[in-house]
Amino acid sequence: MTVLLECEITAHQEIAPGHKRLALRAEPIAAAAVPGQFCMLEAHEGLYPFLRRPMSIERIYKDGISILYKVLGLGTHLLAHLPVGAVINVQGPLGNGFPLPQGFNRHILVAGGIGVAPFPGLAEAILQNLARTPEVVLAARNDHMLLLAKEFSRMGCPVHIATDDGSAGMQGFASDALESLAPDSSTLVYCCGPTPMMRAVHEVCVRHDVLCYASLEAEMACGDGVCMGCVVETNSEDEARRMVRVCREGPVFDTRNINWNGGVRP
Amino acid sequence: MNPVNLAVNLGGLVMKNPVTVASGTFGYGDEYNHYFDISRLGAVTVKSLTLKPRAGNAPPRIVETPAGMLNAIGLQNIGLESYLREKAPFLREKNCVIIANIYGYTPDEYGELARRLEAENGADAIEANLSCPNVHDARHTRGGALVAQSPEKVLEYTRAIKSSTTLPVFIKLSPNVADIVEPALAAQQGGADAVSLINTLLGMDIDPETRKPRLGNIVGGLSGPAIRPVAVKMVWDACRALEIPVLGMGGISSAEDALQFLLAGARAVAVGCMSFRRPDTALKVVEGLEAYCMRHGIVDINDLVGAMRL
Repeated sequence: MTVLLECEITAHQEIAPGHKRLALRAEPIAAAAVPGQFCMLEAHEGLYPFLRRPMSIERIYKDGISILYKVLGLGTHLLAHLPVGAVINVQGPLGNGFPLPQGFNRHILVAGGIGVAPFPGLAEAILQNLARTPEVVLAARNDHMLLLAKEFSRMGCPVHIATDDGSAGMQGFASDALESLAPDSSTLVYCCGPTPMMRAVHEVCVRHDVLCYASLEAEMACGDGVCMGCVVETNSEDEARRMVRVCREGPVFDTRNINWNGGVRP
Repeated sequence: MNPVNLAVNLGGLVMKNPVTVASGTFGYGDEYNHYFDISRLGAVTVKSLTLKPRAGNAPPRIVETPAGMLNAIGLQNIGLESYLREKAPFLREKNCVIIANIYGYTPDEYGELARRLEAENGADAIEANLSCPNVHDARHTRGGALVAQSPEKVLEYTRAIKSSTTLPVFIKLSPNVADIVEPALAAQQGGADAVSLINTLLGMDIDPETRKPRLGNIVGGLSGPAIRPVAVKMVWDACRALEIPVLGMGGISSAEDALQFLLAGARAVAVGCMSFRRPDTALKVVEGLEAYCMRHGIVDINDLVGAMRL
């Protein structure tokens, strides 16, 4: 059940330059949430910025949730200055979680930059619910911008790193790292990151006949299926099904259903 | 017993309070019913319906702007059939008063939509959207030639809709005109039972880094608190010229905002995109209007309509 909830900030710290983790006391949201869902955060009470900010849930605890975000624009700047103990209005949980189908031998989580945000909770779910150990591909511009490598290692997940400049791990993109792991049809890939990265991961998966779920992002006004603002284009030719809402039908999609050439924001 | 009368009559549509929602900001009602009992509203106005489903415009469709937002959705909707089959029964079961917003490509299509909505119990009033700014390709037109920008066409379309239904007909007009009174009078002459003011203001937003427009459609419609003063002024202008009532909207985020529209002359109000930010805004407006009346000793909210002191 989605709720509007006043949530106290219980922790708030920088995890890398310009990236923060926010922990919220939010028992009703935690009780309902599954990995891959998101919340709409009201960064302040004024009218500018006007809209809430959609953010993936990182982890789900007994009495709350955590969120990872990149400080990018006005909304996240305002959010970044909120101290522990401050209260913000949160709407959630929203959207659909990651599917956790049985029968796959290998799970690879492919993250580009802050796209890693929903993966700690997913890794926990795969470890606990499927009794499998997922592998994680972390891609970033450079060594300093790598997120959560230690956290995933502590969970026992093999971590594969790719950086644009080669300052950590292999030099290359997330899709190159995935390619080097030789996924096959018994592998399940989850990905989240910038659109070009997800498109490239999707193409690797198509070549190797691998099922791939992507968590997409879009400009979004309501988060709740109403505004029709956050759509992406599918490959459906049916006028009523061609555009799907990231907030309601997503944010997680089978990448084969998405039109990666022009159907998602650049 | 309720000491304040909040009920209004909007061109033949009886509403238990003067608060509805703006089309496109509340879906078909069911999406928001888990935040509050939507039957508490005076009416629920549903998202624009077309005869056939529409996929709408290419993304991105939303851009945040100071105290508001631009949208270029392009009327994505499930179409009349799905609405009648899947959405209207829920609103009927909830005993909601339904204002069905319709969009057609010709006067005949508007007439067909109105006729079927009445025949199949899908509406208590029709709101004809003659003013969607987002269904034309901005590359080839200058903002699109809206029906609502031509008083002659407003007259023609209004007559066609009125001759197709016995339900109250509201004509939703565009603020993208030099003088709102002209299309408003045309709607009245065509037999409209009320006019809805205002639809969104045309606008655009460019990203200097990429030099690209931020909307896939290039241009879009501006809504939110940023446009409220423009909307209040247009409602005031229209109300002084019209005999039919006005449904006022544009940037309402609180009961205080709604009161401005009533005082300017609107018979009822609609909460728009503020519902995206706070889904329970319209309910808060209902409660706030009642509290205001009690605080000021107003026994009938109709006494506030056009009661601005000069």
